[in-house]
Amino acid sequence: MKAWIEKYFAVVQMTWIQTLEYKANAIVGTFAIFSGLLIEFLIWRQVFQTQNITELRGFTFNGLMAYIFLCMIVGQLKSSWATSIEMIDSIRTGELNKYLIRPISFFTYHFMMFIGHNSLFYIVYISVLILFPIFLPGWAFHTMFHILGFAVALLISIYLSYAIYFCMVCFAFWFGEVRALVIAYNVSNIVLSGQIIPLRLFPEYVREIIYYTPLQFLVDFPVSIATGNLPMHLWLPKMGLAICWCIVVSVIGRIIYRSGIRVYGGFGA
Amino acid sequence: MEFKANFLGGLFVDIIFYGIQFFFFSVIYSYVDALGVFTREDVIIFLIITFLSDTVYMFFFSGNLFNLNRWMVRGDLDFILLKPVPSQFMVSFRFVKSYAIISLFILIAMLFMLLASYRQPIGLLNVLIFIVSFLFGQILWYSVEFIISSSCFWFKNFSVAGWLSHEIMKFATRPDSIYTGLLRKVLFSFIPMILIASLPTRMLIYGPDMQYLFGQLLITTIFLMSARLVWKRGLIRYESASS
Repeated sequence: MKAWIEKYFAVVQMTWIQTLEYKANAIVGTFAIFSGLLIEFLIWRQVFQTQNITELRGFTFNGLMAYIFLCMIVGQLKSSWATSIEMIDSIRTGELNKYLIRPISFFTYHFMMFIGHNSLFYIVYISVLILFPIFLPGWAFHTMFHILGFAVALLISIYLSYAIYFCMVCFAFWFGEVRALVIAYNVSNIVLSGQIIPLRLFPEYVREIIYYTPLQFLVDFPVSIATGNLPMHLWLPKMGLAICWCIVVSVIGRIIYRSGIRVYGGFGA
Repeated sequence: MEFKANFLGGLFVDIIFYGIQFFFFSVIYSYVDALGVFTREDVIIFLIITFLSDTVYMFFFSGNLFNLNRWMVRGDLDFILLKPVPSQFMVSFRFVKSYAIISLFILIAMLFMLLASYRQPIGLLNVLIFIVSFLFGQILWYSVEFIISSSCFWFKNFSVAGWLSHEIMKFATRPDSIYTGLLRKVLFSFIPMILIASLPTRMLIYGPDMQYLFGQLLITTIFLMSARLVWKRGLIRYESASS
């Protein structure tokens, strides 16, 4: 176990050093969050002003903005589409061979790389999250339990999101070009996981469909905990369900990967 | 056309992207009747025009400008500079994304259908001015993207240029009526995102506005000349591969 941790921690460290070379990523990422928030702010301000309302399905305007702000941060932290594109290329070009002949897991190696690549984002956004209750008290993170619950839900979200991407990546064993699938999922995920509009504001029938999928645990779940929109007694059952989804998606990914390896030709190696 | 999976994949992504944008606005408009002057019907036309802009841009430029940083870092730009063709033209128009043609036809057909069923008749003059304004918008988009992409000459490796452009372009994908005050002025001038799709939409459905059109022409000319200047300055700094 110790060797396993040391091996993969070395991957995180290596990627971390590489990431520090490209600080522009974190700057553009932060710009993305604030520009996105500004657009959402303007749209929803107009909705609230035009309708002359103070609350929309339980959201005050400030509450909605806090929710969307956190959603954007979580959405960026869990999105591993860039790593997924690299994995697809590994399969297409035959680079995967090096993982097959070495005592290293393709899944875990890239997961650690993803964590390493995102490490700069984690530092920047965690700083923002720490400042959040100081500058905007009462909008989110009401108690220490909310911080803890958010952290756990965020970890689940990051893993679940990566596992879903991995399932899609593995289709590259059969179809060379699956980047479109990953990008399409990424584009739809931005809206359907509640990243720019809370799930609670979706039409009833769409929400019901989403609640049958793991999408609700990617963004809406951690943010609902942080903002106090989800009652505490529902945290554990929901976390249990989210962990079940993690297991199911991981098993599906493993099955697809094993089947894929059998048809893998190692071309381009 | 050799890469059919790429072709179908690109089309698939476009369909999902359009569907998601429609869904986003359908949720917004389930709570409000209009965003400023833009009613639900107007916003659908605005979205189609935004998609048209995106598709035209994808067809001509995205396969080129997106790669500029890579060409510079790997030294592939040398081969382009050696050719007896204006280098800016070559890096801007070298490749096309063929799948965009299908989207283009579908979107034009959709726009015609929407205009035919619009609550008031759309005059021919509106359409003609719209086409001019739309072209200005495209040139403007190209110029902004080109300037951002060319910044790799100064940053040495600016791999996030595409992401940065995408984030700035997000302002163009929302109707201009949501922008007010100083931000509106900035989006009309220094970061002229409103001029890309929102202004052509206004010309089409609310009628020509010569003041807006000449303003758009002026801003487009300034940005196009800036793009040319940035490219020339950038080439002076260029030190070939691994620069």
